Amino acid sequence: MSEKPTIEQYKQNIEEGDFQAYKCVGCGTIKAIPTGSCYSCGGNEMEWARVSGKGNLVSFTVIHVAPEEFQDEAPYIVAIVELEEGTRVSARLVGFDPLKPEEIKLSIPLRLEYEKGSSGRTYLSFRPV
Amino acid sequence: MPLKNTCIVSGAQTKFGKLDGVTLREMFTEAVDKATVGAGIDKKDIQAAFIGTFIPEMLIHQGHTAPLLLDYAGLKGLPATRHEAACASGATALRAAIMAIESGFYDTVLVAGAEKMTSVSTNRVTEALAAAADDEFESSLGLTFPGVFAIAAVAHMEKYGTTEEDMARVAVKAHDNASTNPLAQFQKPVSLEKAMTPRYVAWPLKLFDCSPISDGAAAMVLTSTEKAKEYTDLPIKVVGTGQASASMNLSDRGELTSFEATVSAGRRAYDMAGLGPKDMDFAVVHDCFTIAEIIASEDLGFFEPGQGAAAVKDGITARDGDKPINPMGGLKAVGHPVGATGVKQAVVVYKELMGDAGPNQVDKNETGIVHNFGGTGATCVVNIMRRADA
Repeated sequence: MSEKPTIEQYKQNIEEGDFQAYKCVGCGTIKAIPTGSCYSCGGNEMEWARVSGKGNLVSFTVIHVAPEEFQDEAPYIVAIVELEEGTRVSARLVGFDPLKPEEIKLSIPLRLEYEKGSSGRTYLSFRPV
Repeated sequence: MPLKNTCIVSGAQTKFGKLDGVTLREMFTEAVDKATVGAGIDKKDIQAAFIGTFIPEMLIHQGHTAPLLLDYAGLKGLPATRHEAACASGATALRAAIMAIESGFYDTVLVAGAEKMTSVSTNRVTEALAAAADDEFESSLGLTFPGVFAIAAVAHMEKYGTTEEDMARVAVKAHDNASTNPLAQFQKPVSLEKAMTPRYVAWPLKLFDCSPISDGAAAMVLTSTEKAKEYTDLPIKVVGTGQASASMNLSDRGELTSFEATVSAGRRAYDMAGLGPKDMDFAVVHDCFTIAEIIASEDLGFFEPGQGAAAVKDGITARDGDKPINPMGGLKAVGHPVGATGVKQAVVVYKELMGDAGPNQVDKNETGIVHNFGGTGATCVVNIMRRADA
């Protein structure tokens, strides 16, 4: 893919269940969250990159007090996931009981999927492998 | 080189809390009056104003706050600029004022901050505070402000063995200190058991791990060393200042158990002052959540990474400990009217250095450090202050 990535398209891709990351044309560094300049080399030319969808759990929280838009979904888990490609992303974590957070172990392997919330949004989400 | 020219000659705050029937401009004016005429400083001496407010647009449907607030406070006509850096709004205003004095551009300026938060619902406040995070890639997942600090807490617990009880002890200390502070939102001690009440806001953070929603204002007058003699025999000098930024999004940070902007701003302030962590007699740090105080105490170099929780447990950070932290009660128990906080924190350091902190006075008070943090650590300002006779 040679088209220049945009945030609008990035969000649309998630909405359609087709997540794609940003990749620096100059040095090949992949970044899961859109950026205007590469953290590694400072380059400002980006392209799309498909990722394996494999990652592991870095940290998480269970949201009990939620903003109005998400209230019907609470309690829900938001996590930081490190992808196999060495870049991190914030996402929902599914496949666990949000009321038993002590059962969730950090570093466990996860796989990318998508979750349609009652807020109407589609979230990037991860589930244990 | 330490700063040479900037002195603090007054500082004051309103009561923090749910100030029913008091609007933003009224509380602002109360703080300004206390810090000017109440301290023997003629308002005519003020040449410019640096104002911190975070998000009055969402909370009270009011933007362009600097001229509005100055007008009500009897300072109409002065150059007045509002500074916004989420919870660090107050300290960025203060830092701009420090630079203005240090450069010789002005002799005497006002720094003030205010926020009115309790006139809307908690959900609305939660939504407004979330604007301090990355809206498109964090808040859109339903990640809240407490949630981001909870993620840092989980990482700290995993890496260093910090516990929920360790965090609760920070709250107990804050409430102990605030119990003798008449301007605090909460003036009652709480037991460890009560602080551990499992009312989760964002697991593992519970109600008592979170600073409250508050109204309030704070103000101070800064002047040049030369002019300071006209106001006081003992000015407080600002000897070092540092500011740094970091990625908004927590996923873009390499480290979750330390906030890089704090480390960087702290280093810049220490270098400028020619002082180090050991030289700080006490500290006022940004304890928006209990875990934030623990991490700040490590990031500012008082304790090794992972040792911040033990320092609380051992009483080292208590008011009568070797390194008192937040001796008047912190954001946690005094309250956190966002735009006022950074100014109020500096006022606390000023009062402690002056020996004017009443029952909350620390024993050693030659040098103090203040750490104010914006959002989830994307902005940090650190200032070091010293008594002129130190």
